[in-house]
This record gives sequence, C-alpha cells and structure tokens, in this order.
Amino acid sequence: MEPLKVVVAGPVGAGKSTLIRTLSETAVVDTDALASEDIGKPTTTVAMDYGTIHLGDQLLYLFGTPGQDRFDFMWDVLSEGALGLLLLIRGDRPEDFVPARRLLDYLTSRQPVPYVLGVTRQDQPPVWGPEEVAPFFGVPLERVVGINAKDPQSAAKPLIRLVELIAAEEAAS
Amino acid sequence: MTKQEQLQGILRELKQALPELRSIVVASTDGLPIVHDAADAPRVAAMAATALGLGKRISQTTDLGMLEETIVRGNQGYFVVYAAGEKGVLAVSAPADANLGLIHLEARSFAARLAQIL
Repeated sequence: MEPLKVVVAGPVGAGKSTLIRTLSETAVVDTDALASEDIGKPTTTVAMDYGTIHLGDQLLYLFGTPGQDRFDFMWDVLSEGALGLLLLIRGDRPEDFVPARRLLDYLTSRQPVPYVLGVTRQDQPPVWGPEEVAPFFGVPLERVVGINAKDPQSAAKPLIRLVELIAAEEAAS
Repeated sequence: MTKQEQLQGILRELKQALPELRSIVVASTDGLPIVHDAADAPRVAAMAATALGLGKRISQTTDLGMLEETIVRGNQGYFVVYAAGEKGVLAVSAPADANLGLIHLEARSFAARLAQIL
C-alpha cells in the first residue's frame, strides 16, 4: 500500500503538535519557537511538525502546519501532494470556529482531498462535541470526531476515519 | 534609551556597515517583526522565523551542529537568516553581487549584539 501524506492543520493551540507527538512511531521533527504573544502556551510551531504512523498496513506521513495566520505560506508548502486533511479545533474555544471554517474552505479549495475535523479536549468538559460542531461547519457528522490529542487511541480515531473516507473515494472513482 | 531605540540604533549601524543590503528585518523567533526597514516586514518576519526554525532542525537532524545561518540564494540575490540568541532572528536581503563573506562577518556580530538586548 502506498503511504498517505496527511496534513494536520488548525488554529493555534488546537493540539496539532500534541497529536503528532502522541501518535508518531518515529522521532518527531518539530520546529518550536518561544511564543512572544500570549497564546496560552510557552512555545509555538514556526515551520512544521512531522511524524509517521501505521494504521494497520497503511503508513501515514503526518505534516503539521503552524497555527498562526502569519505562517499561511506554509499551508500551501505542506499541502503539496497531500491525500488527506485533518483539521483540528479546540472544542472549548468556539471563538476559533469561524477562522477554522475559513481555513477548511481555503485548504479544501486549494487541495480538494478528503478531510476530517478533530474536535480536541473532549476529556475536559465543558466542551463542544462533534454533534454540535458538525452543523456549525456544515459538514456531515461522519466527518467530525471528538478526541483527546494526548491519548493515543483517541488521537488515532480521526485518522482511521480519514483513511476510510480516502478508501471509499478511491473505490467510488 | 528604550529597547526599541537601542534596536533601531543597531539597525542603523548595520545599514552603515553594509550599505549594499536591500532590507533588514529583526523579528522574534515566533515570527513577529520587532525592528525593520522592509516594506513587507510582517510577511518577511514570519518567513524568516520559519526558515530559521526549519534550519535549526535540519542542522540537528543531519548532525551539522549549531545552526550558523540559513541562506536562500536566488539568481538575483540572497536572503540570509541568522539566530539572534534564543528569542530573535536577524534577516537580511542582499543583491547577487554582494560580498557574502563580509555580510556573514558583520551580521553575525550584530546578531550577537541584538541577542544581548532581546
């Protein structure tokens, strides 16, 4: 089976780097720099995160983007040749939903690939769940998965869904 | 003298030392402009932070030791990014016929001074 390149995108603090660190079976390539703005954490990704994971026989290359809009040039760089998109959003930060929706539109218009939304922090209520987030984003519920990015089993769920969607699209074409 | 004034002073000195530079941007390592003379500073600052962050990681991963600088060379010029301590980035743009050795010599010492202030 060919390896699948998957882009992990989403607003700052959504849990992109955390998810890749949680899941990767190989040493993660990260590019953290000290955060000079108040973003609720000490460091932030400035170029990319990279990790790999097997889901069954399927090898996935995970490419995480930086979260801040000023790094938007990296979205196109990292999306080149991607076959799937995982968009992460923090379930306890609904103010991020509108920019995240714009990001989803942008990325899927540039690279029309199967996508899944991962709604993080499901272990820390009060938090928006998939059934509340799906209508907000106007996407089918099957494309929205609630996760805890620090838990390996939970964090793998949206990727499993994504691989299923990619397989279904391939079968249909 | 405020931090900003000190940094502006260093920027001016660097311009005098290397008049051939097209633009200079000092940014935070997370990509926000601090002092600069570039028209497109926010964008250049973000890209400089990306280039430096990725350069550091490549340098580590491929056993090159501590990163000295990241160089982008186009057929019409150079864009060079230096680390200015843990928190800062110094990015300069120069024409293709510039003396890169001289730029490194000056820029590295200015980067060290910037690091003291940042």
